[in-house]
This record gives sequence, C-alpha cells and structure tokens, in this order.
Amino acid sequence: MIPSQFDYVAPATLSEAVALLAQHPDEAKILAGGHSLIPAMKLRLAMPQLLIDIGRINDLAYIREEGSQIRIGAMTTHYQIESSDRLREISPLLPETAAQIGDVQVRNKGTIGGSLAHADPAADWPAAIIALDAEIVAVGASGERVIKADDFFVDMLTTSLQPGEILREIRILAASGRFGQAYMKVPQPASGFAVVGVAVSLTRSTAGACESASIGVTGVASKAYRASGVENALVGSALDEQAIAAAASHAADGVSINGDLYASEDYRRHLAQVYTRRAIEAAAARAR
Amino acid sequence: MKIEGTHEVHASRERVYQALIDPAVLQRCIPGCEKLEKTGDDSYSTTLRTGVGSIKGVFTGNVKLEDMRPPAHYRIVVDGKGQPGFLKGSGDLDLEERNGSTMIKYSGEVQIGGTIAGVGQRMIQGAVKMMASQFFTAIEAEAKTEAHEPPPTHGFFRTALRWFSGWLRRTFRLTSM
Repeated sequence: MIPSQFDYVAPATLSEAVALLAQHPDEAKILAGGHSLIPAMKLRLAMPQLLIDIGRINDLAYIREEGSQIRIGAMTTHYQIESSDRLREISPLLPETAAQIGDVQVRNKGTIGGSLAHADPAADWPAAIIALDAEIVAVGASGERVIKADDFFVDMLTTSLQPGEILREIRILAASGRFGQAYMKVPQPASGFAVVGVAVSLTRSTAGACESASIGVTGVASKAYRASGVENALVGSALDEQAIAAAASHAADGVSINGDLYASEDYRRHLAQVYTRRAIEAAAARAR
Repeated sequence: MKIEGTHEVHASRERVYQALIDPAVLQRCIPGCEKLEKTGDDSYSTTLRTGVGSIKGVFTGNVKLEDMRPPAHYRIVVDGKGQPGFLKGSGDLDLEERNGSTMIKYSGEVQIGGTIAGVGQRMIQGAVKMMASQFFTAIEAEAKTEAHEPPPTHGFFRTALRWFSGWLRRTFRLTSM
C-alpha cells in the first residue's frame, strides 16, 4: 500500500522544527530515519498529514564527550554507534546493542533518537538506555528539559515526551572501574524484533563481588523496564553461577508479560530468565 | 483471543452498573469514542478514533447490551471495522459488592483481523490491556461522581494520573486521596 496523502517540510534548524510542531499539534509527525514511521504509513496504520523531516538539520548526529559524559545526537544512526571504536572502549554496551538492531538497511538509516521516541515495546535501545541510566534531552516551545531513562518509557509506544517536544540528545556516563556490559536478545526470526532483550551494565569490586548492577529488559512487557529484583539480588553477591541464576529468576517479576503468536507468556518469562542469566554471566566475565 | 480480568472500583455496585449501561457515560469512557448513538433497544452505533502512540485509526461499528440483570451482570457484543482492521467480540461483566467497593469481573473473546492483526499481532494483547485499563479507570471516575456534579473529563494523562493515585492509595493504604 502507499501512504495517505501528506505534506512534507524539511526545516533547517531545530527551533523551526519545534515551531512547526507547535503550529500543527494534531496532524504533524517528526521524521527521523523513517524506519518505524514509513512502514506504518505505508500500511496506513499511521496517517500524519504533515511530516517534519529533521534529517536536514545540522549538528543533530554526533558522538561527543564532555568530560566523563558521552553525548549522542538524536539523529546518530545505529550504524554510526555500532562502528564507533571510541564507544567500544568507553561504553561497549552501545555498539553491542546497535549491532543487533534490525538489519543493515535499518542500521544505516534508523536513528537512536527516533527509536527511543517511538518506544516500540520490543525495540533494543530502550533496554540499553535504562541499563546505562541515560538522560534524554528534549526540546519544546518552552525550552529544554532533561528526562531520566527511568521516567522516559510510560507505556506501549508512549514516552513522557510532551506533544510539542523533540528528542535532541542522549547523555550517558562513560563506564569506569571494573565494568562489564552485555546485550543479549532473542530475535523474532522474521522481524528481528526482540522477543526478549536484556541489557546489563555492572561493576565489580577489587575482590570480585558485584558493586553495582543495572539491567534493562525489552520485549517482555508493554514497555522496556528496569529489572530491579534482579539488580537487588545481584549487588553484593560474588557473581558466581548460583548467585546469577538465583538473581535472574526475578527477570520478569512485577510486569504484565506479553503473549503473542510467536511466544506465549510462559515461554517469554522463561526466555527472560535464561537470557538475563546469560547476559549477566557475559557482563561479569568481561569485568576485568 | 481471551480477555479477562478484574477491576476494583471504589463505588457502590448500583452506581457502577448505572455507569456501565449509560450510553452517555460509555461514550466518555471508551477510549477514543466520538459517538455512541442509540439504534434500538440496548443497541448503539459507534465511531471510535483510537490507537496506541502514532498507530491510530477510525473504526465504525455496533455495540449491543444483552442479558441485563442489574446490578450484577450484563453481556456486551461489539463489532467494528476501520482502515487498520476489524474486530468482533463479546464479553460478560459481573459485578460483586465487597466492603463498599465493587469488583468488576470481565471475561470475553475478541477476534481481530486485517492489517493490525497481521503486522501488529505482537502488540495486540498489550494494547487491549491498556484500553481495558483506561476504560475501567474512567468508569471509576464516573461512578464516583454524584448526580449533581459535572461529568469528569478523561484523557490518557488524566487516566494515568488517576491510576497512579489509585496505586499509591492501595500500596500505602491511604484513605483520604
């Protein structure tokens, strides 16, 4: 199918984009990489009357460092993150997650900002962003604000971005100390979306015990969530096989688990526990 | 697919049942319902403009209320179609009084077809749960409004706020909130 008729505008600056969004509160949609929006438009599941293309705005795609803080522009593609040697050193969870998104074409056009704003319940970035305690910078008519990852994902396809706001930047603290990170997912064989995706970022003390653990899970519920039960069980433990397995059993606690034709609720719960265990084992082994 | 669940409403069973069969209330509470017009005894035609996130569509259809046994039970039969797909469903609602609150038990079957069923199948369960939750949260607000007060306004964030304050109340067992 082809999309329903729409108007298209490509502003040159972010403030122009924000102004356009404010002028058309109900009918406009921001176009970033387009790899979630355009397929929906072609199926006529989304029918915006105006597309505001932010791809022509200068300086929205970048990977920078401000001291120990990494700042990634919203229009940075998954490929740019996947192929960054610097990120592989200071925040390896980012390129590891990016490499598992969709396929080559999606990674070349899709953007981290677009993925987060769309908040697909089975998208990969939300899990990593929660595990990294990231901050999201949104700009709207009344100025800028910073949203913590834990407050960003509200429900299925729904974020705490207000209707007139555009996601501009993602901020992550560079990893330090004895850190280990991993992202593991079960891809749905046809779509590549995460049936279950677990992102882990942990640190070990000099003696080897778990000092901190941050775990984001996607694909399991209506939105990506923090697996606090697992984190609490992990911190202080020796990160041995039994401790990890015991902690991972809490992977799907406290959430309404999704069931679909590919994976029932019970199967997804099982997958969540298994993949949480595997991701923690990998992260723990990498924490030198 | 089967949909079932229970929702506790802090209002009397009579008030809740009244709210659940009143077309004016239903029109305000069903997410995205723009129109609910009587077409016969307990039959209505409806227009829904609804969806999740940016996946939205307009659906037209019919709603029929059957097997009405106030204030304990009725059955609702729905069918609708629109650009994103079509649905047919029926559900039984049973109301039980418990310590001044009403427990609404709902149990039904819904068949969804068309584009959303094919492409969006993995999100259907979550979307249905979300809409059921929005609906019952709105019904609670309606059932708690006295006859002389103006009807409450509903919308996603207002519903989310109400749900959150309800959650706070239940978790911390606060009585005045």
